[in-house]
Amino acid sequence: MEGVAMKLPSFKSLAPAAISVASTFSTRRSFSFARRSSSLSAATITADSEPASLGHRARKDFRILHQEVNGSKLVYLDSAATSQKPAAVLEALQNYYEFYNSNVHRGIHYLSAKATDEFELARKKVARFINASDSREIVFTRNATEAINLVAYSWGLSNLKPGDEVILTVAEHHSCIVPWQIVSQKTGAVLKFVTLNEDEVPDIDMLREMISEKTKLVAVHHVSNVLASSLPIEEIVVWAHDVGAKVLVDACQSVPHMVVDVQKLNADFLVASSHKMCGPTGIGFLYGKSDLLLAMPPFLGGGEMISDVFLDHSTYAEPPSRFEAGTPAIGEAIALGAACDYLSDIGMPKIHEYEVELAKYLYEKLASVPDVRIYGPRPSESVQRAALCSFNVEGLHPTDLATFLDQQHGVAIRSGHHCAQPLHRYLGVNASARASLYFYNTKEDVDSFIVALADTVSFFNSFK
Amino acid sequence: MAASISSSCCVSSLRLIPFKRTFFSSVNPPSKNLILRPIPSFLRTIVTFQKIPTGIVSPLPASSSPSSSVDLQPIEELPPKLQEIVKLFQSVQEPKAKYEQLLFYGKNLKPLDSRFKTRENKVEGCVSQVWVRAFFDEERNVVYEADSDSVLTKGLAALLVNGLSGRPVTEILRVTPDFAVLLGLQQSLTPSRNNGFLNMLKLMQKKALSLEVKAEEGTSESTTDEASVVEVDLESKPPSVVEVEESESVSNVVALGSRGMRIREKLEKELNPVELEVEDVSYQHAGHAAVRGSAGADGETHFNLRVVSDAFQGKSLVKRHRMVYDLLQEELQSGLHALSIVAKTPAEV
Repeated sequence: MEGVAMKLPSFKSLAPAAISVASTFSTRRSFSFARRSSSLSAATITADSEPASLGHRARKDFRILHQEVNGSKLVYLDSAATSQKPAAVLEALQNYYEFYNSNVHRGIHYLSAKATDEFELARKKVARFINASDSREIVFTRNATEAINLVAYSWGLSNLKPGDEVILTVAEHHSCIVPWQIVSQKTGAVLKFVTLNEDEVPDIDMLREMISEKTKLVAVHHVSNVLASSLPIEEIVVWAHDVGAKVLVDACQSVPHMVVDVQKLNADFLVASSHKMCGPTGIGFLYGKSDLLLAMPPFLGGGEMISDVFLDHSTYAEPPSRFEAGTPAIGEAIALGAACDYLSDIGMPKIHEYEVELAKYLYEKLASVPDVRIYGPRPSESVQRAALCSFNVEGLHPTDLATFLDQQHGVAIRSGHHCAQPLHRYLGVNASARASLYFYNTKEDVDSFIVALADTVSFFNSFK
Repeated sequence: MAASISSSCCVSSLRLIPFKRTFFSSVNPPSKNLILRPIPSFLRTIVTFQKIPTGIVSPLPASSSPSSSVDLQPIEELPPKLQEIVKLFQSVQEPKAKYEQLLFYGKNLKPLDSRFKTRENKVEGCVSQVWVRAFFDEERNVVYEADSDSVLTKGLAALLVNGLSGRPVTEILRVTPDFAVLLGLQQSLTPSRNNGFLNMLKLMQKKALSLEVKAEEGTSESTTDEASVVEVDLESKPPSVVEVEESESVSNVVALGSRGMRIREKLEKELNPVELEVEDVSYQHAGHAAVRGSAGADGETHFNLRVVSDAFQGKSLVKRHRMVYDLLQEELQSGLHALSIVAKTPAEV
């Protein structure tokens, strides 16, 4: 009884999950049967009892979440690193390969026409997901990192001159620092970094002041994968455009979790990865305003992106094809389209609302554990945090923490620098632990995490 | 006592005749350009049969040992203390207790002086920071010291230090990472880039080899003379004899570059020397890995210093050298690899 209760904390509302987990406890089935049948009836009459949260309902679509690791129920709190995929997305991918796999854009026959249609439909779905005005403003890439590199090499190399300034923040992901370093070395442009203010968010006033006539590009995150803070992109775009600078938005942590409207933001470029938004790995996209893309030279050369090829020169296709050399990740793009559908069916506003609540719960619970230091701003009326917390426990290395949580409790978090070494250096730490949630997590997941964390801390403390 | 392995192993095979296989095969050769050791051909016959573990494995004849898969290095090939450690971990079944054991090792590890926490001593690919230092004792056995900011990694380091320290180079080089499986510590098993445990072992083996090669070269740096001990640790990297890569074209310019100038300025400012000579001898060391890898990439890695100053009055040789090192900490962190120091007071000249 103790054991069952420990693994199924909120017995009432976890009836569907209870079935899959309880089946592994064959000897206890008869004992818990009576309770289960009553809870089943309770769960089916959801109007009377407390309604199952979005997390509880969504979990059903993610088979991967219903397993045990190292002898404990899996508690997956690493969605900022990669999200899990619902059955619908996996089916779309499987479906593609099983029924209409064929190379796109060049074929005449039935299968290739179907593949092309679905591929281009996926492009439209992505465009609609972020409210781009035209699907030709969506360039499929391998991931957001490649998308940023595309802008750096294609737009950057042909637009940046010596002395031009590119503004970043110290909190950027490496993918939005390193390409600019490479390109600035080649062009003589200068990188400037906005530091954090006392609330541990990038200093917006400093950013505003940094923008000058010399600024040609502002490349910033929308939501930080470490600090959980968000930047006022609309305002930043206004300031940048005032001086004729462009803005690139790294939306990897925002597109999956909230409504992102590129027209409203008026950003010039925006990047995101499929694998963080319930889509497969191997595909991401760059959104770029039509006039910008039209003026950009190719990034990678090869098939698909050309118009005519001669021995001594070639002419190039229009965007987006111009930037999509070679056979694309067709199945993956189609699955990404399915992910957009899945998320839209739930509704991004609803997902966001649920996550705001979850974020608050996570923060409060984590902050109540002694010796825990959470990075980023405190949540308040004016400040909404994303549903993630990067933190450190006094005297305990995050790797030790994450290892023990995994080995002894089945809790999956991340430890390290989260591809934000400059940020960690700025905060004065080598590494941090990070728990990140998505709409398929529940309050019970947070509870399990906190219990496991307390156990871990006391284990290591007993050795001091 | 041979208890069954607690973590996920499915099949165990019993080897009746020890099988010496090439240990420079697939996974983890200790060093890229190692001299291969001959494998005795007569030791190649093996008889293996599969056995599904039923929980308790009956005691076996002394010459063989159970292992959890066909290709593991036999436990007898490990240094004696490491064998003991492996057996200890095998006898501890519960994962939590294994961690406790690991932490216990780490707690009792002799701390590493911070001046040895250099780039050459740092284990690559660790999410936490791990340093390993190696030097010879009087009998040319390798002595190791290590440290880490993560207690679990420190435990693993301690395990390796306890298991390998005080042993001859050949024995250390023979060790393959297979024994990690026998420990039953899952975190050490994934052979990914970030596997600190494998990299720790590799670094320790690499250092052992370089100590050996350097000793054979007969250079003064490998003696245990007090003044040069400090230099050995700075220079613990594969010497140019073993490296096959082409040497860097470092100019033989006698004039000091920016680092040389900085060194000169610092020493002049802080020690007020009567005499000061700063000689850039980096070109003599061009071609070994450290020069190529130096962060500044300005090729200024090795200097001869001669300082005559009153500041050294009343201080032992080691203390004088330490003073100079302390002043040049920043350079040491950013690519300066070695200093040969002559530190005298005016009276001694």
